[in-house]
Amino acid sequence: MTVWHKLRPYSMVAPAIIVFSVFFIYPIFYMIYLSMFDWNFVSPTKDFVGIQNFVDLLTEPEFRQVLTNTTMYTILTVTLSTGLSLLLALWLNRGSFFYGIVQGAIFSPHIISLVSISLLWSWLMDPEYGLLNWVIGLFGFEKLQWLSHPDTSLISLVIVAVWKGVGYNTLVFIAGLQSIPADIYEAASLDRSRPWTTFIKLTMPMLSPTIFFLVIINMIGSFQVFETIAIMTQGGPVNSTNTLVYYIYEYGFRFFKIGYASAAGVILLFIVGILTIIYFKLLSNRVHYR
Amino acid sequence: MLKKKLTAFTLAALMMTTLAGCGSGGSADSAGEGKAEAAASSKKIVIKYWYAYGDKIEEAKQHMVKTFNESQDKYQVVAEHQGNYGDLHAKVQAAFAAGNAPAVTDLEIASTGVFAHSGMLEELTPYAEKDKEQLKLDDFIPGLMGNAYVDDKLYGLPFMRSTPIMYKNVTMLKNAGLDPAGPKTWDELEEYSRVLKEKGKVGMTLPVDIWYYEALVAQSGGQMLSDDGKKAAFNEPAGVAPVEYWKKLSTEGLIKMPVGDEAGATAGKDWANQISAFKFGSTAGVAGSLEIANGNGFELQTAFMPANKDYGVPTGGCQLVMTSKSTPEEKKAAWEFIKWMTSKENTIYQHKHVGYLPTRTSAVESDELKEHFAQNPQFKVAVDQLEYARPRPMENAYPEVENILTDAIQKAIIDPKTTPQDALNQAAEKANKLLGK
Repeated sequence: MTVWHKLRPYSMVAPAIIVFSVFFIYPIFYMIYLSMFDWNFVSPTKDFVGIQNFVDLLTEPEFRQVLTNTTMYTILTVTLSTGLSLLLALWLNRGSFFYGIVQGAIFSPHIISLVSISLLWSWLMDPEYGLLNWVIGLFGFEKLQWLSHPDTSLISLVIVAVWKGVGYNTLVFIAGLQSIPADIYEAASLDRSRPWTTFIKLTMPMLSPTIFFLVIINMIGSFQVFETIAIMTQGGPVNSTNTLVYYIYEYGFRFFKIGYASAAGVILLFIVGILTIIYFKLLSNRVHYR
Repeated sequence: MLKKKLTAFTLAALMMTTLAGCGSGGSADSAGEGKAEAAASSKKIVIKYWYAYGDKIEEAKQHMVKTFNESQDKYQVVAEHQGNYGDLHAKVQAAFAAGNAPAVTDLEIASTGVFAHSGMLEELTPYAEKDKEQLKLDDFIPGLMGNAYVDDKLYGLPFMRSTPIMYKNVTMLKNAGLDPAGPKTWDELEEYSRVLKEKGKVGMTLPVDIWYYEALVAQSGGQMLSDDGKKAAFNEPAGVAPVEYWKKLSTEGLIKMPVGDEAGATAGKDWANQISAFKFGSTAGVAGSLEIANGNGFELQTAFMPANKDYGVPTGGCQLVMTSKSTPEEKKAAWEFIKWMTSKENTIYQHKHVGYLPTRTSAVESDELKEHFAQNPQFKVAVDQLEYARPRPMENAYPEVENILTDAIQKAIIDPKTTPQDALNQAAEKANKLLGK
């Protein structure tokens, strides 16, 4: 045995480990470290403040609103997006040419850059010059303010997110539906099971791994929403669309309070961490696997 | 085997053409040209200059950089576009932290304090002292120097500076039977808007922009912060008056106050489409707005922002600053470049090309600009208005205070139950915590 033989496996995994450490592990620990300081990124001294940043964050009403916004956004996006996708998947799971076209059409937003989507929807939702209000006007209804009013801004962003995400979710659902063996359905139809019963007792349990996968993945994604907010609302009006990641960006790179922003980052890490743990727990316990 | 060789050959050929393509493509824009030239003559000191905004502003900046590079053979400036002021500041800060900052950058004036306090800026006092014959610091219009000093030290030179002015659609006013010389006061603006509303228009579409709010506070005889900058002053009567005025006018439908990210763009579009007769805007928009007015067939005049107790405006725009961690040679190059960019000739050029203020008294008094003003009076208004100009607050926490204020004012305007006084009191309470630190 030469030294090389011992080193060989390590050298093989080294690239992955190095990339992982430099770009994932180190930043996480550095963020946790920074969250205990008052620093503006460039001044030579960092002032140690302990948990003061966290105290400030949690007592700041604006931050509580940010958390509420993020949670509301996540709940709405995930329910609407997965619910709608499930319906679409059930409808589209037939495999003729027409359904293929529809499936392709609803999938296409997924491959478009979020920046383009945001710009497009900013125009669609423009209260004065947008297409949506023009259509609403044609039917004689009162114009909506969309992104320009605190009451409607968050739901407008949810609409964009659902439009963007529904195609991918549908695709995954269809894959899930198609992996359910046909013989079970044959058995069910021999037993004269009604369609609704078949769906509840058969399709749903067989599909549950897919559903949980999508719910958790969408939740994690929604908690990290940034692009649409940065481009379409910048957290406004009146803080109504400010979410966790945008808040972190704003404090880190506009107000140069890197410690405070890091503290908010730690909270995000904590939330996403919990979601991930739930995901794995549920996956190993509750969810039906064959 | 043959196939492999062929593939390799094709690849190599492809790479060659791509590289050649890059070479010729790159020299089309002057940034690429700068790099290529720099490589050719390695003796030149190359420095980076970062700037904000595109369109006419970018054209003017690129043009001045190009003439600087051609004017001498010691220094080469590579100019790079970095988005709006917010993007630019974030990038400069990140680049500085990474030890890779540009030697010279635009800096929005209200941010001079934060940048200077954190040690990112080179103090320019000794440079100005050494070169005082050539620089003529006294020649800069005093109203523009307020944001150049932090703690009595010089950190920047006025470059593309502005004040907000009022743009008027004179054709629309004449059609409505209104005197195109007005409105000169808040009350007149209200009356004009009332008449325009009867004609199915609005007086003005106005975004909640703290820059304009600063102007209205000044017009009411107040100030944003206390003299020592440790406390908010905008919840005093002079600060509440503008919000009450806006709330009243927008509730009655005399002016439109959209909120949200697109509000500024909406204001511009409403004005261009002749839905509103007035807009507030930076003097940087004069050249562009004249083009719009000509294209849409209406007459444009500019005017002072209407007065309450008196006229009053903040200044705005950017100055040129030098970052502190460059080498001595780079700093020398940076200083030469900053002097060039802020010279009399160049301030005249950028004023005529874009509409930003001429920054030097000698420029304002020059025959060239006198003639220009005679032909295009729209350009002169901002210069005259400088008499009423005041600097913007530069406290470290001010960018955050601006955010708080925007939210508070928007809330007061949208929500019938929130009074301007309550909204501003709450904002002041938050701001005091930040400013007191």
